[in-house]
Amino acid sequence: MTTMIEARGLTKSFGAKRALDGVSFTVAPGRIVGLIGPNGAGKTTALKALLGLTSFEGQLQVMGRDPRAQRDELMRDVCFIADVAVLPRWLRVSQAIEFVASVHPRFDRARAEGFLSKTDIRPRSRVRELSKGMVTQLHLALILAIDARLLVLDEPTLGLDLLYRRQFYDTLLNDYFSAERTILLTTHQVEEIENLLSDVLFINHGRVTLDSTVEALAQRYVQLTVGADNLAHARLLEPFFEREIFGRTVMLFEGRSSGELARLGELRTPSIADLFVAKMQGAAA
Amino acid sequence: MTDAAAESPMPVQTVASRPVAIPVWQVMIALIRREYWEHRALWTAPLITGGLMVLTTLLANFGKNQWGTFPGFGPGGPSADPRAVGIMISSARQIGVAVPLCIAAVVTVFFYLLSSLYDERKDRSILFWKSLPVSDAATVLSKLLVALVAVPLSVFVAAIVTDVLQRWVWDIRYALHLVGGPEFIWDPVAWVKVEAFMLLILALAVLWYAPIAAYLMVISAWSRRNAFLWAVLPPLILTVVERIAFGTRYLNDLLLYRLGGIWFDLWNNIRSHGPPGSPFWKQHTYPSVFDMVSFPDLFMNIDLWIGLIVTAALVYAAIRIRRYRDDT
Repeated sequence: MTTMIEARGLTKSFGAKRALDGVSFTVAPGRIVGLIGPNGAGKTTALKALLGLTSFEGQLQVMGRDPRAQRDELMRDVCFIADVAVLPRWLRVSQAIEFVASVHPRFDRARAEGFLSKTDIRPRSRVRELSKGMVTQLHLALILAIDARLLVLDEPTLGLDLLYRRQFYDTLLNDYFSAERTILLTTHQVEEIENLLSDVLFINHGRVTLDSTVEALAQRYVQLTVGADNLAHARLLEPFFEREIFGRTVMLFEGRSSGELARLGELRTPSIADLFVAKMQGAAA
Repeated sequence: MTDAAAESPMPVQTVASRPVAIPVWQVMIALIRREYWEHRALWTAPLITGGLMVLTTLLANFGKNQWGTFPGFGPGGPSADPRAVGIMISSARQIGVAVPLCIAAVVTVFFYLLSSLYDERKDRSILFWKSLPVSDAATVLSKLLVALVAVPLSVFVAAIVTDVLQRWVWDIRYALHLVGGPEFIWDPVAWVKVEAFMLLILALAVLWYAPIAAYLMVISAWSRRNAFLWAVLPPLILTVVERIAFGTRYLNDLLLYRLGGIWFDLWNNIRSHGPPGSPFWKQHTYPSVFDMVSFPDLFMNIDLWIGLIVTAALVYAAIRIRRYRDDT
């Protein structure tokens, strides 16, 4: 196994604010990595660094290349959707396909047209005439027809309704993803992509606060729902987060065996959303 | 595998076959087409201008108020030879047709260049363009090629088409004996001479104004808002400041020279190569004026070449700014 992305000590400041503060992580091929963090945590800056769109300090290799110096070569193997609004409004659907086909050696025109034929998008339409969801469908059709090794998605479903969001991720998973491809994505709607991800990377205040595979999370973290009677006892085991629901307390533990917790209350594997909230609020406290 | 991939311990295997590299010229053509998709004025402006001229000719010849004969060019005009006069008028019109087209093109290209690297940042579509394997150099150069090669050539072609259409209108008019006076005499040698002359002048003007085009691209790539004001105001303000602070006008002279210098140069060139004495237009027909221009002298003007070096530096700056500017 080799690495797709290797980041060591990425640092980037905007004035006094540190958008990235020594971020290090590794991504292997064939993974779907969720880069998760609150607004202003540094997610977009990290992605921009990977894509050679911003300057930074530290070491970064994407498929063995430095995005700062070798961006042009890199973009043959990397694709990204930065935001739903970035397709130019004057562009026609047919022109978009024509253009990408003329400049991208790995673009499969028939595939893109196949995706579009399943939608209501007409080739003559301009982007400005399409709904937000349709623009995303178009962008996705263009990007998924590119045989790239690394796909980077920054809030790809922002502002879309549930139907389009579900469709977006279904297409991504069923028609695109394969063992040779790596997807790195950020989103606010953590709960929607939980089942999609193979890895999670939490980032807050420019630092990585959690870096794990999804399988490992289940072994590492346990969520305990405990009544008032066992509360004091449970607290002795040092939960890193707790909150109250309907008079009972939900606690999150890291590195505790299920055996010692099971007699105190109900056990559950925390969802990524639960963990996210716990990690972020824990950091704020 | 490429050198870069060989640096990683083991290249990532993929189902994809190695990409067939797309030739640079094909990418360039795609980029230039894209500019015409986005900026429709690039092709509508010459079309409308040329169309209006043909329409005006039609109205002037077949409308209610018809032009009469050309004053001063009838019998007893500047030349006794009616054929020479006919060719002269014909050539004059040939050039006259190009002038409105050039003015329209200058206005179009000015605003095109100002928006060329600005609009894509404003609507954030730069993030889409940058997600494709097209280098910043290719993108910036394609826009420069549109401004300095594609548009001037289309002006040249539009001038020829307009000229031919106008000539048909006149020919019909003469055939119907609607007018007396001197005919436009179409002389192939004179015609080709005038077109060649205009093409050379066009090339000369493009090279002379290239630094201004590159400057506009830098402003377009750099300014956060209102590229027009950023392009126009600083030179004006600096000129005034220089005047007040130092009492000098070097910048003023430099700017004026870059804006109009080439035409004085051309004028002086024609005069110095023509016979002394009375003004040349009293002695010569238009086509022969072109024999008096020394194009080697015009193209060897050192200021033209200094301008081109400045252009190269500015284009490089525009590429770097587009590559590293991060304001989306």
